[in-house]
Amino acid sequence: MTLEFTKNIRQFFIEIGELSYFAGRFFREAVKPPFEFKELLRQCYQMGNRSLVLVLVTSFIIGLVLDLQSRPTMEQFGAVSMMPNMVGISIVRELGPVITALVCAGRIASGIGAELGSMRVTEQIDAMEVSGTNPFKYLVVTRVMATTLMLPLLVILGDGLALYGSALVEYFKGAVSFQLYFTTVFDALSYGDLIPATAKSFFFGFAIGLVGCYKGYYCKKGTAGVGVAANTAVVFTSMVLFVIDFVAVFISDIFYDL
Amino acid sequence: MEKTAKEKFRLGIFVVAGTILIVLAAYLIGNQQHIFGNTFTLHTTFKNVNGLQKGNNVRYAGINIGTVKDIEMINDTAISVAMLIQNKMLPHIKKNALATIGSDGLVGSMIINIVPGQGEASLVKPETMISSYSRVATADMLNTLSVTNENAALLLQDLLRISGSMNSNTGAIGRLLNEPEMAEDLQETLRNLRLASENTAMMMKELGTVIGKYNIEQSVASTVFSDSIAGAKLRLTIDHLENSSVHLHSVATQLDAMVGEIKEGKGAINYLSTDTVLVGHLERTVQNLDQGMYRFNQNMEALQHNFLTRGYFRKLERKKAKSEKSRD
Repeated sequence: MTLEFTKNIRQFFIEIGELSYFAGRFFREAVKPPFEFKELLRQCYQMGNRSLVLVLVTSFIIGLVLDLQSRPTMEQFGAVSMMPNMVGISIVRELGPVITALVCAGRIASGIGAELGSMRVTEQIDAMEVSGTNPFKYLVVTRVMATTLMLPLLVILGDGLALYGSALVEYFKGAVSFQLYFTTVFDALSYGDLIPATAKSFFFGFAIGLVGCYKGYYCKKGTAGVGVAANTAVVFTSMVLFVIDFVAVFISDIFYDL
Repeated sequence: MEKTAKEKFRLGIFVVAGTILIVLAAYLIGNQQHIFGNTFTLHTTFKNVNGLQKGNNVRYAGINIGTVKDIEMINDTAISVAMLIQNKMLPHIKKNALATIGSDGLVGSMIINIVPGQGEASLVKPETMISSYSRVATADMLNTLSVTNENAALLLQDLLRISGSMNSNTGAIGRLLNEPEMAEDLQETLRNLRLASENTAMMMKELGTVIGKYNIEQSVASTVFSDSIAGAKLRLTIDHLENSSVHLHSVATQLDAMVGEIKEGKGAINYLSTDTVLVGHLERTVQNLDQGMYRFNQNMEALQHNFLTRGYFRKLERKKAKSEKSRD
């Protein structure tokens, strides 16, 4: 039992170490020409555009539900007029980036893990190495950069739709006009809310791409390995996302609390 | 160049430890915000902090200028509060500034308001202690309000009664409010009053001219009005007059009583004044007396010439002549 636990702990640290080496290799390869711009654009389209509908629908529903759920409590305090402030701040600061990142972790990280895993299993990556193409640069760097660049955009669009969902509830339940709702929200928000959230979402995107690629790139041989790669990519990414969120909140507090 | 499992393990530990260190550092920095050197600390003490917490805002004249850094109990009646204030406020806060605890809105969190003090004072330095002012707590405020409410209820009851009696047409104000005749009367009265006042004004004017005339010196009135000695004499005279009139009154009363007694009584005067028969008797008596006197004179004359008494009368004449002679 103790041996098993120690082995697990050791395995955990080894995985962290591997991921760190993987990240280091990414940075080395990313700054070294030649750059795969065409592939980067294709990946951006794949990651960004094809996740857009999913992110928008999820965010819209989150905004709607958050407003509906917190409305009765605010009514008890007689502070319904504070609803836009509360919903706006919670969506922009925390819920928007985290929900979008989790949705993308589920869709993109698992996709990358499965894709690269199957390439590893079918020895396509080895074939690329043999043919002289740098598979890391072509497969990993482009994907990680694409997620890093696309996630903040998805977060901002998701925030917008979540606020719209909340505004819709306020419009029908509280007779608050859209103009009043958004004026109140933008009054309540400051750069201190928006900048840390946006910076955080770059890291989220990086983590999603990196963990997905790592899991796929080092996929174990066999058909089961692909499934495991896709599955662990999602689980590991979600965990890393929360750790990053935790650290980001602490750091942003220093700069924007006072 | 594939890394060994040992190397990966070490890197893993390094990364995890690094992350934990970053979180710890961020936490410590977040708590010690003046680590960047853009804040300073001010202290104050309160008797009651009303639920103030670390991190609550500090305001100066309504502007957020810092946060509450620490709240510490000194003894059972004093709580020390340390406040982190932005350095840019140093040239504005003076040593006589007052710290009060307020609420940010009805259901908002507590805040510290720093209010500029009265008069001149030097500027604060970091770690200065400023004085505080404990506002009336909400509970006390509500207690006062309840007493005020009770008083207001009593007052309203009285007002209700007054207005009721005013409406009931019985009192003067009620009649004034409800009866048009009364109002007209009042209007008439006021009109008369105005006329009267106009007349009074005219009279006063005339009086003024009269007094002006009295002011001519040496006149009696002037003397009376302006000479204190003459006035005193006049007063004395009036006093005497008053005394005299009192005496006169008593004399008159006595006379009245006497006359009454005369009229009512059985005295001779009453008899004389009222009995007409007696008057007739008296008249006759007087006539008889006249006649008697006349006859008596005749008898005396005859007696003088009588030889028996003639010597006595001659002696009298001689004595008379003698006394006249000696007088000459």
